[in-house]
Amino acid sequence: MLEAFIYSAVIALITGTVLPLLYRSKKSRKASFGLSFVSSIFLLAFAGTILYTGKEPVFSAIRFLPGLDFTLTADRLSGGFILLIAAVVPGVSIYSVEYVEHAKSEARKDLQAALTNLFILAMLMVVLAGNMVCFLVFWEIMSLSSLMLVLHDYFLEENKKAGLFYFIMTSLSTAFLFMGFISLFKLTGSAEFGSLSYPANDLTLPFLCLFTGFGIKAGLVPFHKWLPYAHPAAPSSISALMSGVMLKVAIYGFLRFLLSISTPELWWGTLILIAGSLSAVLGVIYAVKESDIKRLLAYSSIENIGIIFTGIGLYLIFKLEGIESLALLSLAGACFHAFNHALFKSLLFLGAGSVVHATGTRNIEAFGGLIKRMPHTTTLFLIASVSIAGLPPTSGFVSEMMLFQAYFYSSALPDPLLKVLLIITLSVLALTSALAAALFVKLFGITFLALPRTRCAQEATEVPKPMLLGEAVLAIFCILSGLFSSRILALLGFDLGIPDMLLLGLILVGTCGLVWITVRNSGPSKTRISKETWGCGILDQFPTMEYTSAGFSEPLVVIFKKIYRTEISSTRTYSDTKESIFNSGTARIHLIKFFEERLYLPVAYAVSLISSQVSRMQNGKLDTYVLYVFIAVLTLMTFTRYFA
Amino acid sequence: MNASFLLFTLLNTGFILLVSPLFMSLIKKVKAYAQGRKGPRLLQNYLDLRKLMQKEVVYSPNSSGIMRIAPYLNLAVLLLASLFVPVVFIPDAPAGIGNIIVFLYLLAIERFFTALCGLDAGSSFGGMGSSRLMSLSAVIEPTMVIAFAALAYVLRTVNFHEMFAITAGSTIPESPTLTLISISLFIIIIVETGRIPVDNPATHLELTMMNEAMILEQSGKNLALIELTHAVKQTILMAILINVLVPWGLVTELTFAGLAVSCLYFLLKASLLAGLIGLFESSIAKMRLFRLPSFYMMAFFFSALTILMEVFA
Amino acid sequence: MISSFIANPAFLEDIIRILFVFVLITAAFTLSTRNIASLLTVYAVQSLLMVLIAIFLYLIEGNKTLIAIAALTLVSKVLLIPLFINLIGEKIKISRDLKFNYLEPTASLLVSIGLILLAYVFLSGFFSEFILGKLFFMGAVIGLSLTLMGMLVMFSRRKVITKAIGYLTMENGVLLFGIFVADLPFIIEILIVIDLMILVLLTTILAIGLDSTIEEYHQRLQTLKIWSGREN
Repeated sequence: MLEAFIYSAVIALITGTVLPLLYRSKKSRKASFGLSFVSSIFLLAFAGTILYTGKEPVFSAIRFLPGLDFTLTADRLSGGFILLIAAVVPGVSIYSVEYVEHAKSEARKDLQAALTNLFILAMLMVVLAGNMVCFLVFWEIMSLSSLMLVLHDYFLEENKKAGLFYFIMTSLSTAFLFMGFISLFKLTGSAEFGSLSYPANDLTLPFLCLFTGFGIKAGLVPFHKWLPYAHPAAPSSISALMSGVMLKVAIYGFLRFLLSISTPELWWGTLILIAGSLSAVLGVIYAVKESDIKRLLAYSSIENIGIIFTGIGLYLIFKLEGIESLALLSLAGACFHAFNHALFKSLLFLGAGSVVHATGTRNIEAFGGLIKRMPHTTTLFLIASVSIAGLPPTSGFVSEMMLFQAYFYSSALPDPLLKVLLIITLSVLALTSALAAALFVKLFGITFLALPRTRCAQEATEVPKPMLLGEAVLAIFCILSGLFSSRILALLGFDLGIPDMLLLGLILVGTCGLVWITVRNSGPSKTRISKETWGCGILDQFPTMEYTSAGFSEPLVVIFKKIYRTEISSTRTYSDTKESIFNSGTARIHLIKFFEERLYLPVAYAVSLISSQVSRMQNGKLDTYVLYVFIAVLTLMTFTRYFA
Repeated sequence: MNASFLLFTLLNTGFILLVSPLFMSLIKKVKAYAQGRKGPRLLQNYLDLRKLMQKEVVYSPNSSGIMRIAPYLNLAVLLLASLFVPVVFIPDAPAGIGNIIVFLYLLAIERFFTALCGLDAGSSFGGMGSSRLMSLSAVIEPTMVIAFAALAYVLRTVNFHEMFAITAGSTIPESPTLTLISISLFIIIIVETGRIPVDNPATHLELTMMNEAMILEQSGKNLALIELTHAVKQTILMAILINVLVPWGLVTELTFAGLAVSCLYFLLKASLLAGLIGLFESSIAKMRLFRLPSFYMMAFFFSALTILMEVFA
Repeated sequence: MISSFIANPAFLEDIIRILFVFVLITAAFTLSTRNIASLLTVYAVQSLLMVLIAIFLYLIEGNKTLIAIAALTLVSKVLLIPLFINLIGEKIKISRDLKFNYLEPTASLLVSIGLILLAYVFLSGFFSEFILGKLFFMGAVIGLSLTLMGMLVMFSRRKVITKAIGYLTMENGVLLFGIFVADLPFIIEILIVIDLMILVLLTTILAIGLDSTIEEYHQRLQTLKIWSGREN
């Protein structure tokens, strides 16, 4: 029964991949997205069954080569993440039916449709993977398909750079994963996942390799630099899938490793906690300065991944100190935040895609007044913004609240220094969520409210129905997951003491209605629309009088200017030697991209230096190569004689 | 949901709505006397609200549904938050009501939508107010969370109802940390309600534009709702401070005499606190906008010391 | 009722804990205030808090030396030294110390939190809390933190007067550490007070006026051809 669901979903996705490549027409593209929608229904049923009943099916293994077999298994952890995939894909596929038609050439439209299905299939198989080989194979397929999707508009210079950066980082990630898995394999001799208990050896090397590998893919600081390049370059539906699902698949991989270890160490927990808090606060601080809508959302994804890692770190710390209830609360908070973030971040990216399509630019400074021109998109975007800002009773608030509650109860920890670390990371988390609220006030307010700032915003029109429908599906899931959060968690068997959002939501709506009725019935209610906004006596109001995005974030930029490190350099030329008659000058305000200039570029230079030295060994002459073989044979002879 | 809780909702919310405008005018009166004048009469706020309810609401042509919905939503959110802070008696509440984290974020909803209203009409003043408010409230947020975390550490619960039940049961504060937390809570009241030195609630000048700037565009009934929201926020934050530091008189059972006594005590204590706030406001000057993060940092240092003292000792 | 409060050691310990927090707050103000007049007031308040701590500790412990220490601190640090600096200050008009070296006030507060943690970790390696008793251990930690914060004031502020107050804060920290960890013999206390007097006097004389900075001092010495050092 369960196998039937998975097989049908896989077959649907494979057909969806192959169909647009064989029959190149609009109908086949529509059909392929329809097939991905159908597969998500199957996956929903599958995940629901697994989560509710707790069965752990193992699918039959396919043996490709001796020693190289594929096992697919599922348990509650993978069930949760399959539910995540199944919740995001319907909305994205309905949206893509219309969105894919905006690409420039027919061939690329077909390719995008096919690759989307392949991408979803690869992510699904990574979550279902039962052993390391299967995991790595599908991980690579996932990376390559997403790379090809990122390079969709390959003729643009910035997209080429983004694609190259993404390719290098994802290859690095796979390399680290290989190292981690191989060292694990050497310790146990088995390549299977599942309820393993690795011997209590020194697991430092596998932990660090896997942490780095999954951290690169998930976008943890300092490995995060590829995210703000890759997400704006990809088409919006793909950005939604990457940000919403692919980053979470990396989290799944990391959790799978952590949960199979029976003896983790405390410093792992503190390392993950500190890395998570750092990513969260740096992500949102960099996001505040951005004026490119998709880059802003990419940095916000880095922030939320940081929050998820904070939850994972807390889980490890509480588990090792023996406080099981708080450990469960933190882990549930982290996973639930992953689920919620997938939903509202995909919704935000799809909405951003609609806005970018309607206006033709990604620059927030050009938007404005879209609430009058694109009302449905605005409402859906508002739902997502309220969720991501973490306001009750939405889902984004529930998962953050679970983490806060775990923090507030941490007075049960015995070690005072650990409590101090938790207090410091608690204040960082509080700062992060308040900055996220400010960020989304800016994004929503500048984009949708007040007057349009340019012609393209003025002439924007509402997007076609399928795009709205896709977003609406995600929005409905978002609202349901928030209101019914405590019911859902109770249904899954987790007994956490969290407040009930449904009750709060009902009381809120009731109070709102009561206030409205009371006000309506007290006194005459006249309203009038004035000629224009009061401007302190100025008679005409121009869009240039409105607040801009850079102006909105200016107080934050000034408060945190040590982190932004703006460098102002100026040159001046004078007409005389005593430097008193000024001729001309230039000034440059340069935002030091800290991680790029201090971490990535030096490493890149070092690598290219080493490789240029090594490449001297290959000078193309046959004689040198024969010399190398001769030296190798001599060395081998002496070695085996004397040392073996 | 039992009868005790329903009665609590009606009584608590009604009482808070009734007395909130009184405390706002009390603070104004104290400031006026400190400045050597008589000031408006104590019931002036009620008369102002009544006047505003009769006036028509004027909307800018650039504004949207946000402007129309936000005042109602804000008052509803603050009334929901007032359920979390028992003032008349401590009821038998359902599990979620009273959670301090939910309380903090309910206040955040009110800030979010008021900031959006500021941007809605497209005027520079509103944008300025929204931008400054969201930026500065981000910087004070760690202090608020640490102060509430210190409360949770000392009293070992994350629910206001349980906390007040514990403090109401003892005459002197349980632990010295509570006295220190009260000072943090006082600073939080000053910051959240936009009083000097953070923001001047009496003017709309550019120098003091934070809270007042965002509501420049509101008029008529909407403005009345917003003024009431502001007053309710002031009252519930004062109530938290009072119930943590001097909780005498708060009852846990529902008797008529007990209710009357606790209402009277609350009026007395809150009036004293309002007078204290007025005196504090009159004694210092408003700080420059970019000096405020240093002030917030000092407040954070204080709250961090408080919780460190609790952790280490 | 008051006497029952005073007799209750737990209550007195609570009050001392509150006083600890206020002492650190005064140190934080010393780090970040820009106004010289408020700097002196803060120093006087800090010394007053020391007096109160000594009195309350006497009520707990009963050691007569503490009363003597309290009286001496009250006279010398709360009354005499601020009066002295004020008298000098009236002759040379000094009012503000605006610039900071190396550490802005916000960053220095964050560093102070780190210093307190460091003091705790360091001292817990030496004394276990159970040998000393929790209150006394806290006193030692706060004393050490106060000393470190005083050192922070000395290098992060520009004007000499602020540096002098930083040194005085360090002395206060040592005093606090002393009354909690060891029985401070009275004679050492007198020596410390004389030490302070000489320091304040020297600072007045050596610094060319109390409103100078170290740079101006070096420049003066350069023009007098005493110091041919390199530019700072």
